Amino acid sequence: MTVLSQTVPRRPRVSPTVLLGLGLATIIVLASLLAPMLAPFDPLRMAAGPRLAAPSLAHLFGTDEFGRDLFSRVLAGGRLSLGIGISAVVSGLLVGGVVGLAAAFGGRLTEAVLLRVIDVLYSFPDTLIALALVAFLGPGIENATLAIAISLVPFYARVTYGLAAAERSKPYIEAARLAGIRSGRLVRVHVMPNIGQSLVVMATLGFSSAILSAAGLSFLGLGVQPPSPEWGAILASGRNYITKAPWILIFPGLAICLTVLSFNLIGDSLRDLADPRRKARS
Amino acid sequence: MLLLILKRVLTAFATVLAVIVLSGILIHLVPGDPVTAMMAQSVTATPEVMAAMRARLGLDLPVWQQVALYTGHVLQGDLGMTIRGNEPVARLLLQRLPNTFALAVSGLGVALALGIPLGFLAAIKRGRLADTIVMVIAVLGVSVPAFWLGLILIQLFALKLGWLPVAGSGWRNILLPALTLGLTYCALVARMTRSALIEVLSEDYIRTARARGLKEHRVLLVHALRPALISIVTVVGLVFAYLLGGQVIIENVFSWNGIGRLAVQAMLERDYPMIQGFIVVFATSVVVVSMLIDILYGFLDPRMRQR
Repeated sequence: MTVLSQTVPRRPRVSPTVLLGLGLATIIVLASLLAPMLAPFDPLRMAAGPRLAAPSLAHLFGTDEFGRDLFSRVLAGGRLSLGIGISAVVSGLLVGGVVGLAAAFGGRLTEAVLLRVIDVLYSFPDTLIALALVAFLGPGIENATLAIAISLVPFYARVTYGLAAAERSKPYIEAARLAGIRSGRLVRVHVMPNIGQSLVVMATLGFSSAILSAAGLSFLGLGVQPPSPEWGAILASGRNYITKAPWILIFPGLAICLTVLSFNLIGDSLRDLADPRRKARS
Repeated sequence: MLLLILKRVLTAFATVLAVIVLSGILIHLVPGDPVTAMMAQSVTATPEVMAAMRARLGLDLPVWQQVALYTGHVLQGDLGMTIRGNEPVARLLLQRLPNTFALAVSGLGVALALGIPLGFLAAIKRGRLADTIVMVIAVLGVSVPAFWLGLILIQLFALKLGWLPVAGSGWRNILLPALTLGLTYCALVARMTRSALIEVLSEDYIRTARARGLKEHRVLLVHALRPALISIVTVVGLVFAYLLGGQVIIENVFSWNGIGRLAVQAMLERDYPMIQGFIVVFATSVVVVSMLIDILYGFLDPRMRQR
């Protein structure tokens, strides 16, 4: 019996960290989606309560310097932050994915040129790339999203290239090539289904970084503009009331931390599942 | 070794050149006319003043000519003049650069001083409580926005306890921003140290050292930590680049007089020559530091020299 039980392949155990990440992410996404229903006040309504009121039953997270309800603003901020994150990740992944695949399957010269460009861009922090772009594009939610999406392109291009290059040398790709299948079809039909799963994992990690960049840009006044309740923007206005009303600082900050943490936990665990060798080292 | 140095210097130069050209092109990303955008808040913006500004920035020339001119000027050390104060961009940036480096190096120092021992502890206690705690700290570290942590530290150490000043530039003022950066990036260092040490600990020579009866602390400190530290050196370059990136926001949180604060001010005022100058100086710093780290790695690890 013992021998038998050892030979039966065990289903991979779902780690408690991924469950924690999934649980947190579900709550955050649901709360953001249902924000208009859950929020007790309009997030932009001034004098919804007294100015700088401490958290109470009437105002769960307190109020800000204009008497706006902070709980409603943090909920609405979730919609904005998640929206920016998703749009930036999807566009960054699409462009980065195409560049990475082109580098892997576009011939030697294309590979050499694209790889050099990707590596150079990848050596710069994504925050800096996003900042530089927003400086020229101008502040605002669309420009911030675009800048963050572009800042993620080198990361996704590098990851896609790595995954695609590993597939390139496998026998099934050689067989497909010998069968006369062209690069375009080869990538679409054979490579994509095999690397798609890993790309989704990397998308999760990019999402955390996008949320942090969006908050950072808005905090500096270069992203979402007030009175929009983006988390970074709320923190920027709250910093002037750091002693009088620390709750303006605490709740939006916690919202950013928990969102980023949940996606990091999911991303890390999925990456370990996809690459057991990595798990052995980590 | 000489070949490695030459190769790295040439690559670094090519990268910096690419950044300069890119920064020359970036001004054309400005929606509409950059001069109109820059002078939007100015009351003296008559058509004549704006035309003069356009000519001064070379915006009346074809794009390729503008980029070539800009690249030529930058290579001679001329980053242009600021729009607001009509001062040389290069001088303003160079004045603030030492402050930025002082903060970056202090932040890196804190990150290494905390991250390496934590990673070391996690690796030798792998799978136990200490390891779990360190890994939790590591995940939290990459999830907390540095500027928020900075604000919390200001609230705690400067306003509540009154131990440290809130903002400004001076040796006492560097402590809080350096601690903020160090705490944020020590997570990355701890993670890398842990992986590097775990890999070294599985090597045959470690087993041999133990089999020879060497004391465990000698095996860990002399035989395992030294080679692990060599691979940590490569990470230092990466951490330094990310730390510099994160520092732009931190300088603004703590009103630290570095180039990051200057840059954000320029971004809010749409002072494009200053922004371009910042990108060039900042990117050059990142490139030079990673080049030096690569060369240092070559000295430390003989295998690298043969590549």
